[in-house]
Amino acid sequence: METKEITGRAQEDAAALKALLPAQDILTFSFADGKGREYVCIFADALTDKDLLSEQALRPLSCYAGAADADAVARAALSPEVRAEASYEKLAAEVLAGNPVLVWEGADKGLALGTKKIAVRAVAEPPTDVAIKGPREGFVEDIKTNTSLIRRRLKTGELMIEMLPVGRRSQTNVALCWLDGTCRADIVDALRKKLSAIDIDALPDASYLTRFLTDKPYSLVKQTGTTEKPDIFCAKLAEGRAGILTDGSPIALTLPYLLAEDFQSGEDYFVPAARATFTRLLRLFALLVAVYLPAFYVAAQLFKLRLLPVKLLLTIAGSIRDIPLSPSLEMLLVLLVLEVLNEASIRMPKYVGMALSVVGALVLGETAVSAGFVSTPAIIIVAFSGIGLYAVPNLIEETSVLRLFMLLAAGSVGPYGIMLVSAFVLVSLVTTENYGVPLCAPFAPFSARDMKDALVKFNLLSLKERPRALNSPNKRRMK
Amino acid sequence: MKRFLKRLPNRLWVLLCLIVLFAFFANDFGLVDIQKTAIVLAAGIDRTPEGFTLTAQIAVPKGTDRTTGGTSGVEIGGQGENISDCLSDLYAKTGWVPKLVFCDLLVLGEGAVREDVFDGLDYFLRNEYIPDSCLLAACEGSAAELLSSESAIDDTSALALGKLFSDAATKSGQVMTTTLREFAIGYFNESRSGYMPYVRMQQQEKGAQKEAQASGGAQNKQGGQSGQDGAQKIYSARETALFSEGRLAALLSPEETLAFSLLKGNVYAGTFTTDGRSYVILKNKGSVDVGTRDVPDIRLYAGCKVQLCGERETASPERLARGELSEQEEAHVSEVLTQYAKRLWDTCAAADCDFLFFRRSLRRASPALYGTWKDVPLSSVPADIVVRAESLR
Amino acid sequence: MTITPRQICFFLAGIAPVGKLILLPANLAATCGNDLLLPVLAHVLVQSVLVFCVLLLGRRERTLCTLLRDACGKTAARIAACLLAAFLLFAAFVPVIEQKLLVRSTFYDTIPAYLVFTPFFLFAAYICARPLPTLGRLWDILAPLALTGMAGIALFSAGSADLGALAPAGAAGAGGFLKGVQTACAWFFDAALLLCLIGRFPYRKGLALGGALCSLAGGGVLLLLLALFYGVFPGIAVIQTPAFSRMSGFFAGMTVLGRIDYFFIFAVAFAMTFHAALPVQCAVGLLTEAFGNKKYLAPALSVLFSALMLSAVYLVHFHTSAAVRTVTETLFWIFPLFTVLVPLLALLVFGRRHETLS
Repeated sequence: METKEITGRAQEDAAALKALLPAQDILTFSFADGKGREYVCIFADALTDKDLLSEQALRPLSCYAGAADADAVARAALSPEVRAEASYEKLAAEVLAGNPVLVWEGADKGLALGTKKIAVRAVAEPPTDVAIKGPREGFVEDIKTNTSLIRRRLKTGELMIEMLPVGRRSQTNVALCWLDGTCRADIVDALRKKLSAIDIDALPDASYLTRFLTDKPYSLVKQTGTTEKPDIFCAKLAEGRAGILTDGSPIALTLPYLLAEDFQSGEDYFVPAARATFTRLLRLFALLVAVYLPAFYVAAQLFKLRLLPVKLLLTIAGSIRDIPLSPSLEMLLVLLVLEVLNEASIRMPKYVGMALSVVGALVLGETAVSAGFVSTPAIIIVAFSGIGLYAVPNLIEETSVLRLFMLLAAGSVGPYGIMLVSAFVLVSLVTTENYGVPLCAPFAPFSARDMKDALVKFNLLSLKERPRALNSPNKRRMK
Repeated sequence: MKRFLKRLPNRLWVLLCLIVLFAFFANDFGLVDIQKTAIVLAAGIDRTPEGFTLTAQIAVPKGTDRTTGGTSGVEIGGQGENISDCLSDLYAKTGWVPKLVFCDLLVLGEGAVREDVFDGLDYFLRNEYIPDSCLLAACEGSAAELLSSESAIDDTSALALGKLFSDAATKSGQVMTTTLREFAIGYFNESRSGYMPYVRMQQQEKGAQKEAQASGGAQNKQGGQSGQDGAQKIYSARETALFSEGRLAALLSPEETLAFSLLKGNVYAGTFTTDGRSYVILKNKGSVDVGTRDVPDIRLYAGCKVQLCGERETASPERLARGELSEQEEAHVSEVLTQYAKRLWDTCAAADCDFLFFRRSLRRASPALYGTWKDVPLSSVPADIVVRAESLR
Repeated sequence: MTITPRQICFFLAGIAPVGKLILLPANLAATCGNDLLLPVLAHVLVQSVLVFCVLLLGRRERTLCTLLRDACGKTAARIAACLLAAFLLFAAFVPVIEQKLLVRSTFYDTIPAYLVFTPFFLFAAYICARPLPTLGRLWDILAPLALTGMAGIALFSAGSADLGALAPAGAAGAGGFLKGVQTACAWFFDAALLLCLIGRFPYRKGLALGGALCSLAGGGVLLLLLALFYGVFPGIAVIQTPAFSRMSGFFAGMTVLGRIDYFFIFAVAFAMTFHAALPVQCAVGLLTEAFGNKKYLAPALSVLFSALMLSAVYLVHFHTSAAVRTVTETLFWIFPLFTVLVPLLALLVFGRRHETLS
């Protein structure tokens, strides 16, 4: 395709740019400088800080009487962020990014001025990653704010931030961050390659990237770490991972991802090691209970009563006596109701959510039991499972699907089905690798040294080395 | 072909999902779920001229309401030539599949113990779904009658008997329990002997019956053949039935049962009374050894720490505080307990019931001596019996 | 992805014993009564020596197929690989049958429809299509799980075990001992499995000795469990299958808590599922390499072999005992041929390090 470049005739150049950007919110504005040369400013209405534009460019240039070449004009403008471009397409992209573009009579290039103004949410504590002790700052949708949050925490020249535009139409800025000398160079190269190869219309959120960055895009198991907190993001960079920030998304991605990461929380590092170990084990227990309890409850009733103590069995037998559904269908129904309630309560406005809780808990739960549709133990089991799932919030998507698989296996084949599904999952997990790092490290392959910060958390002073699984070129993090 | 192979995993995945969903919703691969199952808590075996009668006490849950909670039982009997036949009869009568995985008690009626009990127990031993940990008991009269009786202390007779055979009861030295596994091991080893508690049923006195009812026991009994005579029953299992070659050989008296418990080293906080004085056994160790010099002999030894815990006459506060035994008392108590143990051995020898596993121990210690002595009656085996009681000081 | 020496040790100490806990204890109790430990001890010692030999062969850091190809040419290597794979498929029969019995009696309260065992072959097909080094990572997870399970079972059964039942030693006599050794042959082929893995792990100094010691340790665990098993069921051990899931059910605490031993039983059973598929997986790995690591070969072979095993298992569904007897009593001699002779021969032929690389 032929690239059209600046002609030096202001009106013609402005018309050409306007032709590329015919939308009504792309405005043009003409003025003359001290020598009477005509300038045309093209800008996106809602994205430009007009006061700043006027202060930094228009006012100084209206008095300017120097040469007409782009370098000289750029020096005359008082804006700290000025880029000179000759191509119409590049200038049009700058306008769309919120940077006003100046063209003038006799110009060899157009100037893009960094005076964009984007509505930015204030830095606040992320709702998905609340810490009682520890930093409360969270990422926001603006990538610049996010990089500033990182830069503030890692004041080192080794912190590299590379901006890459992704999305044919959205041209979303994606920042690839890493600590030079700490993160493996091949990981950075591979990520850069994969990000550059993404061919998608638009990139509304970071989650879109996850599928492009993994070797197994169809896998049920997630393969990128996510966080909304800059302190966690920086800690992961310091361990030897690379991070990705996406403009328009408060979710930051970290790679390579280890499954053990999601059993850790930022707070584990601010509390005593014993407490951290206890809570990590508790999270694992809660997750296992959440996934397996409904399945084993069904399998026990259908195939293996001996799994239950006799008194519990008699209690269950008493409560399900008049239930019209089979144990497996009953559990599936209650589980689906829970999922629907969960989905609805997330999407609904907050004030309706309260009413929904009442309807869900009282009307559906209590009435369904008294009407004999479902039994009390089934509701207790599902409630317990539902709560357990939220002990590891980053794995909810995976574990809720897994719970359903387990239930289907339990209802069709029984306890053996549960075991086989577990075996499938185990094989799938241990064979998954991302960027040469096994997902299940440090359990498989086992690494005694990395176990110090896996499920069991050792004292911070004994964590002298970076995780071996990440194979960082810089092994020690503490002397 | 390549395209086909590339799509094959996805197609197989969809097919698998469909099969699993079908299996899940069809939910009928001959499975016997909780709603089709009769949970048998206890079973009674009686002999009939035609074969056997198996009485199953089936748990009937009452629901989760706190005011009516608990478990009642219904007793249903099945007849047949063997136990498997009886269970088929039960199934035919009720439509429920009798599930014996929770059957923790097998009661053998008088008729059943007169012949080889393994004719009936064999089924339970060979069935892989029945736990070998279920307790065994013999009873006076028929097992069906015992299980159908209305207990004064619990909702069902099986639960009441379960309390009678609890660990605490065993430690008191009043009852000697055994499991199907232990009994089978005894039956199939060189001694071919075993034991089980012998249950007698007594009618509860009126006053006590009211008391029991006030404390919530057995007021919700329903269904089945329960309480034919309308009276509530209490059970006693202080005697122990001895079996040789699977047949009832003798009954141990409560004193002999205590001696047996002492030899097993089971007793903790058990009491016994002699000459108007009661003693509590606070520590006990016991052993049954076989001597293998020239002529094998059996050595029964039990040692226990005892304390006085009750007297017929009023004692001084000093004596009450100490509870110690004098040396004469110690000797006397030792002598009494040794006599119990001697009576135990005499019963064992008289019935030639080797429930102390003399022959098994002899084989383990000296296969050569075992070869010579295996057929010698127990009455010819010299026995060295010592029970030593020491006061707690 | 490679197997590490540690993972080999995990396999020998933690995974190898679990495959011998279903039918073997009862079968040995039937053939040599209270002397059941002696044939197992003999096998454990022999296997440890063989493991030492095979790991020593691992010093060459080349796979069996490569060694064969270099020494005898492509065709001969393929024929040898086919023979060994055929043996592994034959050896897989008993573990798969055991798995079926285990499923029937441990996972269900009533005899289930025999279709319920079919998904195992789906799993077998899935795992066998995976490259052999996957095993290493699985063993990292499974070995601690299996050892925990076995420890729990041992702990629960220790209270009710009468270890005196193992006396008098030697009661079965030489005949009983030899019969026991013969019976146990079908369960001791760890060295043959290991032979398929050589060249897929880096050899480190002392690995052969360490591996042999781990094999002995695994044998020790097996002997302990067998002793406890016979102590819990003297005289009636013959009818106790699957052995490991029955011996822990007499723990006193269970009256209150229910069958908590199922946690440990399921842990061991989980490891057993992988162990049952292991010979087929080794056969697939061996053939895939022998025939040039073609892309669709491993999945195709794994599906084929799993289907074969499925057919074999359902073909003998009503003759299971007879089929197991045929393997363990009539065709037992095949096992030492491939488990003892082949590794020794391999060490003899390929064991020297100073050869010219082709």
